[in-house]
Amino acid sequence: MVTKTEENQLNRLESQVDNGGSGAWEYLCLVRKLKLRRSDKVLKHGLSILNNPSKRSALGPEEWTLYEQVAVAAMDCQSLDVAKDCIKVLQKKFPDSKRVGRLEALLLEAKGSWELAEKAYSSLLEDNPLDQTIHKRRVAMAKAQGNIPGAIEWLNKYLEIFMADHDAWRELGEIYVSLQMYKQAAFCYEELILSQPTVPLYHLAYADVLYTLGGLENLQTAKKYYTSTIDLTGGKNTRALFGVCLCTSAIAQITKGKSKEEKEGAQVQSLAAKVLEKDYKQRAPDKLPQLTTALKSLTLSS
Amino acid sequence: MALGFAIGVFGVLILFHAAYSTIQYRGLLKITEEEFSGPPFNVVIELSLGLVLCMWAALTVPGKFLSIHPDSEENRIVSLPANLDFMIFNHRGKVFPVEMDLKLKQ
Repeated sequence: MVTKTEENQLNRLESQVDNGGSGAWEYLCLVRKLKLRRSDKVLKHGLSILNNPSKRSALGPEEWTLYEQVAVAAMDCQSLDVAKDCIKVLQKKFPDSKRVGRLEALLLEAKGSWELAEKAYSSLLEDNPLDQTIHKRRVAMAKAQGNIPGAIEWLNKYLEIFMADHDAWRELGEIYVSLQMYKQAAFCYEELILSQPTVPLYHLAYADVLYTLGGLENLQTAKKYYTSTIDLTGGKNTRALFGVCLCTSAIAQITKGKSKEEKEGAQVQSLAAKVLEKDYKQRAPDKLPQLTTALKSLTLSS
Repeated sequence: MALGFAIGVFGVLILFHAAYSTIQYRGLLKITEEEFSGPPFNVVIELSLGLVLCMWAALTVPGKFLSIHPDSEENRIVSLPANLDFMIFNHRGKVFPVEMDLKLKQ
């Protein structure tokens, strides 16, 4: 999770390093810690450190981690010869390393030779059958070749063994959503919320999936999760506020004609509408009339 | 910072002094064989003064306190990490022009 302070720090370091200042090593460490995908900047600044022998020796044993990071970034930017050179250096230093073997198979994947990469991964798996990263790379390869059902199958097999890997659950949820298999996607997001209940983004995604599914029960659960997102973010998440309004009006449309006992639904909706109007007045006052007409049509149709 | 530290040390010394006077007072009461109901009034004042000084020092010496709200401006989650284990390489970035001077020198 990237918090706002970390994002500020990252942006500051990035602008400092881009304008020719020092601190490239801290920038690279921060990118590695936050697991971000800034491959072009990592490649440029990593190479500037690695090509400078004094800076390289100043790193000490961290030099090899930098080689690995630059190799992966080079593969992402399609500079495959840079990646090959980095891997050659790592191979000279660590001749029989599984980590370097994984990097070589990754290079084969980046080149597009899928069968060779598959063979390399299977041979690595024979020595080490419980290596999580290699299983995940097989899923990524299936995804890259366009074989989404194959990717789902591999990912399900992986998750039967390693049930606690929330990155994999997230990936599976996103794949299901892209295939419009919303029931299965809802299950994946439930697993994510179970393992990390304090991240509001998972609640929001789950509520979105439930709202898309539709049906009275799903809408009521979606409204609950939108409100929990509002709770976790202190009322600042605009999407969750809109979600609450839409869910309430959709529920009211379905239960039109049946007896309406609960009035607290309308209370939540009016509160959310008030917060939205205040927010828009502060941040985008020219869009405020559109918002008020839209909210009025929502309450009128219910 | 140094002032806070000095005041903290002073507050701790006051507390020790109050403890010592209470023990002396108890010894005195044992001689006159009276009940020990509580420390004398000025020792209580000394105790509360030591408490105030120590608390002030404890709050000022450590420096800036960080926020613990998950939704405060510094702590809120801006984005999720990019799921690098499932990263694929055949994206449209292939058609971007590669800067020619990017090479690893031996």
